[in-house]
Amino acid sequence: MLNSFIPVLAFLFQEVENDRFAQMKHAATHPDLSKFLVIGALLFIIGVAGVLTRRNIIVIFMSIELILNAANLNFVAFSRYLQETGNVNALAGQIFTVFVIVVAAAEAAIGLGIVIALYRNKETIWVDEIDLLKW
Amino acid sequence: MILSGYEALFFWIFALAAIFAALLTVMARNAVHSALFLISSLVSVAALFVLAGAEFIAGVQILVYVGGVMVLFLFVIMLVNVGAEERGREEIFNNRRQVTASLIFCFLLVAGVLYAVNEGYRGLQKSRPMPEASIGLDSRASGPAGATGTSAITKDTERVGSSLYRYASLPFEIASVLLLVAIIGSVMLARTLKQEASADDVDPEVLREEIARDPELANFEPQSD
Repeated sequence: MLNSFIPVLAFLFQEVENDRFAQMKHAATHPDLSKFLVIGALLFIIGVAGVLTRRNIIVIFMSIELILNAANLNFVAFSRYLQETGNVNALAGQIFTVFVIVVAAAEAAIGLGIVIALYRNKETIWVDEIDLLKW
Repeated sequence: MILSGYEALFFWIFALAAIFAALLTVMARNAVHSALFLISSLVSVAALFVLAGAEFIAGVQILVYVGGVMVLFLFVIMLVNVGAEERGREEIFNNRRQVTASLIFCFLLVAGVLYAVNEGYRGLQKSRPMPEASIGLDSRASGPAGATGTSAITKDTERVGSSLYRYASLPFEIASVLLLVAIIGSVMLARTLKQEASADDVDPEVLREEIARDPELANFEPQSD
């Protein structure tokens, strides 16, 4: 039983010796590009989980908005990073974000129009009950 | 890009708020609650945009998403409101097997993406090392330095606007056409049968069947002149 703790303790001592915890603290108090990317990735995954698991078609649309927003966060973070490296075309990320927002607005308008038409014809918003193309 | 001091504090506050609100968006039973949590997630992400130096995008995010798209969502939720969901009678998730499979898929995706971000960022730092202190502020600010070392006045909006017209004027016009198509398309999709009949936009045979079911529709039949 005690033997199994020895590698763990050895690992912790090694980490302390390498000043790994100070590095982690520094990384937490000084967020950089990778932290923005991690937040974007988590938002993206939450959106994907919403699309895959929910039954309400409107909530699925909201999850798609979350996914697009996560992509926007990545674009903006990379744009800031490139501005600091002095890249000439560093604002391309922000411009792309504007277009993503435009396309998201158009998608929401069309999608919700389809939802209303569907509700009028099928009287349901549960995606598993809308199976006209299934046989 | 390295934030420090209060910027770091606010980064973590808004990042956690965005992620929690996103989780609650996906898990809330009532669709209206989902929409409100999504609004708070979008506002938090707008704050992260400000921290990344993109004030214009943050403003567009608030105006377009929170002011426009979410209001649209709320209207549609109220049009197709399903009471059974709120009263807890309907299952809001897919069946258990599908949920399990998609959660496993999402965990794999999380692991893969986080691994890729860490490895890729380490490689990026190795290939072009960045100085410890936040540099490049001269390029994005010209006013007096604020409390956090960055400028109180940035020229972000002006620069985004000028490069939007300089490098992306054709996509900009295409986007306006796209929005026009979206407006017309959603109006066409959301019309009722009465509106379609009065615009003489229904197949005559379908219209005759529908009139047999609902005689009131005959009033909306266009008079041939």
